[in-house]
Amino acid sequence: MATAKNVRHHVVIGSGVAGSQAAETLRECEPDARVTILTLSSLLFYNRYDLPKVFRGHRDWREFLAYPAEYYRERRIGMRRCSRVAGVDAKRRAILLDHKEEIRFDTLLVASGGRGYVPEELSEFRPLMHPFSSYTEAMVAANEVPDRGHVIMLGGDMIGLDLARTLLDTRHRVTLVAGPQTFWPHEVGADERPGLVAALEKMGIEVVEGADAGGIASIEKGARGLSSRRVLFKDGTELYGDVVMPFFGLVPSVEFMLGSGVDIERGLLVNPALRTTNEGIYAAGDVCQIWSDAERRYRFYYGWKNVRAMGDLAARNIAGGADPWVPAQDETLHVTADGNIQSPFWEYE
Amino acid sequence: MATDIQISIVGSAGDGTIAAGEILRGALAGMGYKVISFDVYPPEIRGFGKCIARMRITTEQAYSLKHKSDVLVSLDDSHAIPHADEVRECGAVIYERGSIVQLPEGGHMSAHIGPGQLPYPVPIRELSEKSTGANRSRNIVVLGFLAGLLKLPAEAFQKAIAKKFKRKAAAAEAGEAAFRAGQDFAAQTFKLDDVLFGPPVSTVVAGATVEMISGNAAIVRGALDAGIDTFFGYPITPATSIMERLATEMPKRGGRLLQTEDEIAAISAVVGAGFAGARAATSTSGPGLSLMAEMLGMGVIGEVPSVVFVSQRGGPSTGMPTKTEQSDLHMAVYGGHGDAPRIVIAPTNVDGCYRCGGKAFEMAEAYQTPVIVLIDLYLSNRYETVVFPSRPPFEADTNRKPGKLAAGAQYKRFALTADHISPRAIPGEKGNMHVVTGLEHNELGRPNDSAEMHEAMSRKRHEKLKAALRHPDFTHFKRFGDEGPVDVGVISWGSTFGECLEAMIKARGEGIRCAAMKVVMLSPFPTHGVTAFMTDCKQVLVPELNYQGQFANLLQANVARPVTRLNRVSGEPMKVEDILDEIRRLAGRKAAQKAA
Ligand SMILES: Cc1cc2nc3c(=O)[nH]c(=O)nc-3n(C[C@H](O)[C@H](O)[C@H](O)COP(=O)(O)OP(=O)(O)OC[C@H]3O[C@@H](n4cnc5c(N)ncnc54)[C@H](O)[C@@H]3O)c2cc1C
Repeated sequence: MATAKNVRHHVVIGSGVAGSQAAETLRECEPDARVTILTLSSLLFYNRYDLPKVFRGHRDWREFLAYPAEYYRERRIGMRRCSRVAGVDAKRRAILLDHKEEIRFDTLLVASGGRGYVPEELSEFRPLMHPFSSYTEAMVAANEVPDRGHVIMLGGDMIGLDLARTLLDTRHRVTLVAGPQTFWPHEVGADERPGLVAALEKMGIEVVEGADAGGIASIEKGARGLSSRRVLFKDGTELYGDVVMPFFGLVPSVEFMLGSGVDIERGLLVNPALRTTNEGIYAAGDVCQIWSDAERRYRFYYGWKNVRAMGDLAARNIAGGADPWVPAQDETLHVTADGNIQSPFWEYE
Repeated sequence: MATDIQISIVGSAGDGTIAAGEILRGALAGMGYKVISFDVYPPEIRGFGKCIARMRITTEQAYSLKHKSDVLVSLDDSHAIPHADEVRECGAVIYERGSIVQLPEGGHMSAHIGPGQLPYPVPIRELSEKSTGANRSRNIVVLGFLAGLLKLPAEAFQKAIAKKFKRKAAAAEAGEAAFRAGQDFAAQTFKLDDVLFGPPVSTVVAGATVEMISGNAAIVRGALDAGIDTFFGYPITPATSIMERLATEMPKRGGRLLQTEDEIAAISAVVGAGFAGARAATSTSGPGLSLMAEMLGMGVIGEVPSVVFVSQRGGPSTGMPTKTEQSDLHMAVYGGHGDAPRIVIAPTNVDGCYRCGGKAFEMAEAYQTPVIVLIDLYLSNRYETVVFPSRPPFEADTNRKPGKLAAGAQYKRFALTADHISPRAIPGEKGNMHVVTGLEHNELGRPNDSAEMHEAMSRKRHEKLKAALRHPDFTHFKRFGDEGPVDVGVISWGSTFGECLEAMIKARGEGIRCAAMKVVMLSPFPTHGVTAFMTDCKQVLVPELNYQGQFANLLQANVARPVTRLNRVSGEPMKVEDILDEIRRLAGRKAAQKAA
């Protein structure tokens, strides 16, 4: 790891959309700098919106990669996979990896995204649920759901609903146990909700309204027929399915930043230039809350285009820029005239 | 689906790297795969040096190790990290997930895995400690993980583990538990690499046995099957295991083995035993061969059957004891004073070690001369699956016995005959009393340094060896690849020939007209056969592991034709890619064509 003393070392935590875009921009802005990505992932960057394709028969991980290995070699982007960051020492400009290796940085971009949220009362049933936030999880779920199988979706955020579209398209059955997180990250008013639920039903989703996560008594394994999961509600009703998938939105992955010296609310707090409260440490993507002058509060901006734009902006600012954040996509959820749901969250390149 | 997978396990001395390799190749060979493997040991004591167990597992016959491995297992990152880039794209790197000590940047394997390779962090130490109460079974944990990841049957491993620890019940039990722990962990690991085992192909020939065996073990087996009576030796890397194995096996068959005080004593005793009629041998490496040079001359002038197994290592002097090299060819063929011709044969693979190991005794006896079997560390330590015939393919007695003497005639031990080979009496045979000394002699063996006698005896000692070029059931040289005229012909010897063969096959795959010839009999040199081959080749390439081009020198002394030399002295086997690049260059292939 010998590098010349005067070469800046930019470290990016996370190889999602934000981290990957940032690394590319950093390389363009600073051809001589050292750029290293640290990530938990065992695969190179892939777009997670592609994951539902596993139900269309696309199972080889190579089909999912956004760029081939050559891309990283050519750009001299160091890719440290399976490397969990355990802590950051902002003062010493040092990162401690879980396996006890220390990495020094000149600037740090935290793009660690978020992980699937599961309400406290359901957390004991985690082992019986099939999350869907990585290629591996997607493959495990896909291997578990038989042809024309039945998926019980809890929560129903926009990530889950996107998957539901594919599941229905591939002749699976989807039952949505709707709750407060349905349509997350969109904020949906009480008056809009019936129309949106009707649109879901029109799509072919069986919606169990009112039985939100708080209404679930237990999830059990082993049930009648082919089904291998039973969801038991507090009112005594029950549902049988092949898998139970939680889609309750995301919580930012910030635990390794606790004690680092930067301010955290739910996400990492950043100014409009995406800088945290520590000079030299930036954040981008689902992990950060950006100060909105208009709204006078720190807020999240979700969606693939937003996240990518954040990665790009943070990198340019690390390289000396000072541009402010401008959202790259709108946030409203519509039902079209013919009764279909339309979300900017579902628009990607 | 044909299987062609190379696995490298890298660790520190004391990690059980070589033992893990032994179990793995035993299990795979037991399942019916062909295995070629080559272990690298450190010259240093336990706890310091690097150990590598590297093996190639195939369904089709392979001839060498591959340049890139499909799987790298690290038992010690500090040693394994320099080998990370030897893993092919989409190959797997298996390593210890955590560290118990603070690491500097780059001190962990995860820092060195290329973007095209697939990382598998495994809590190796933790699994070993949980399953066995100690971290000593880390090597078996990784075998369990490998078996689970690559979907290999546990039974084959359990058998191999039981065999490895057959006298250590506690170790066998710990091994079982550690293996299961690794395998269970693999069951929770999502497989991402594209390393896939196809079904093994049955190679069982009626009556034959298939065994996974090293070059040195094959030499021993050949010697035993040829009826070796006595062995004298002094240990030296990489030949030591020849003596060690014989020490276990010979007493069971009524043979005798003595560890002498040095190599001079060993060769002296061998020549003495040969004189007394025994099938006798010694084994050594370059430095020992130097010490034996004088006494080998005694064997030549006394026309005493004697066999010397030489496993070469990096030289000169103590040189590189644990690195391979082919730099003792000059010494083997020419070493010593006076005109002292001898037979030198050099097998090119483990099967060849078995055959040369036995045939050496036939030849020594038939042509009444020292025979050197020249191998190298790469071949000594290389394991291959070998098919052994149901009956040993060696003659028990090739001695030309004297007939009945006419009344009043005196037995002439060095009688000048038409084929220059004299009937040989064994001391003690009634009426065939004779003298053998280091002095030039007449037919009776009495000292005689007249010009005529020295000329006649010199001719005899050289000419008699020509018959060895027709020695029955022996491959003196062999051509592979395209028949008739070719653009490039590759000629090589010893362990390097496997790489040459692989390169030649690849070159043909690229449309280059190419052939390869192995030369097993180095002295006397099979000039006719080699000349015929070279006449067919527009260009001749001679790859070998020495700086001088010792085989190329020998070749050009016998066949006056230009050759292109390819020499490497890295201490490692030759790289197939290097030979292939040279073939392409000689065939006039441009880089663009190569890429296409
Ligand atoms: C199945 C699925 C479908 C989706 N579909 C859409 C869609 O249709 N449209 C849309 O706009 N968005 C979609 N999203 C959401 C979108 O993918 C996210 O908004 C986006 O991935 C966020 O990007 P990010 O770079 O901020 O973080 P992430 O993509 O979450 O990446 C976080 C990175 O940080 C790494 N990391 C986390 N913690 C650590 C640590 N401690 N140490 C080291 N590395 C760490 C992770 O390994 C990962 O590489 C979908 C998400 C999923 C899961």
